[in-house]
Amino acid sequence: MSAEETALQEELRVFEQHKPEWLRSHPGEFVVIVGSRVIGFHSEYESAFKAGLSAAGLGRNFLLKQVWAEEPVYLIY
Amino acid sequence: MKWRPNPSKLLLEGPHIEIKISTARPEFDEGRAIGLEYRELPVRALIDTGASLTVINPQIAATCKLLQTDWNKITTVGGKAGRYPAYAAAISFPESDLPAFDVIRVVACPIIEQPFFSCLIGRDILRKWFFTYDGPNGEVEIITHGGGR
Repeated sequence: MSAEETALQEELRVFEQHKPEWLRSHPGEFVVIVGSRVIGFHSEYESAFKAGLSAAGLGRNFLLKQVWAEEPVYLIY
Repeated sequence: MKWRPNPSKLLLEGPHIEIKISTARPEFDEGRAIGLEYRELPVRALIDTGASLTVINPQIAATCKLLQTDWNKITTVGGKAGRYPAYAAAISFPESDLPAFDVIRVVACPIIEQPFFSCLIGRDILRKWFFTYDGPNGEVEIITHGGGR
């Protein structure tokens, strides 16, 4: 797999590990994860991005994921 | 913002708008302050009420060095489904006084291979606008909650 295909895999593993508890404590919020570090929760994407940028620094990807039981499927028609 | 392409052109090309895409504004500003270079890429975007979120050509994400923030599941016409990278971007509207989006999620999906467009403006942006499509007169108008056009 290329680097692009494996981007954010560590962060997604952390997300899946904690998802059951976060569904109870932070449903619908955006969680910010940098590597294996959970930075925090935000109600808006923009504030979550600023927190992630501050923690990760310039040029490093980080995960901003909304806490839902089921991953939404977006329709493009 | 109001434009009048004429009824035939509007029918052929759909409602489109010139936009600029760059890395999200907080990163852009912070990077520029220490001498890093970021591109603001001019792109023609189709306003697509059938798109639940905003989609870009994957090449734009690479050119603008967008930060990836997630993977999203997308289903397109015909039921084609896939998992595509989501990025944080900034989108501005240089030919109007419509307010810019300083931080917005966009998904890079290669369905955008049409000659006219590199971006689909989805309902995540439309939720901030009043959008009028006047087919008989060939006019399109966008008004924002704050009164910007």
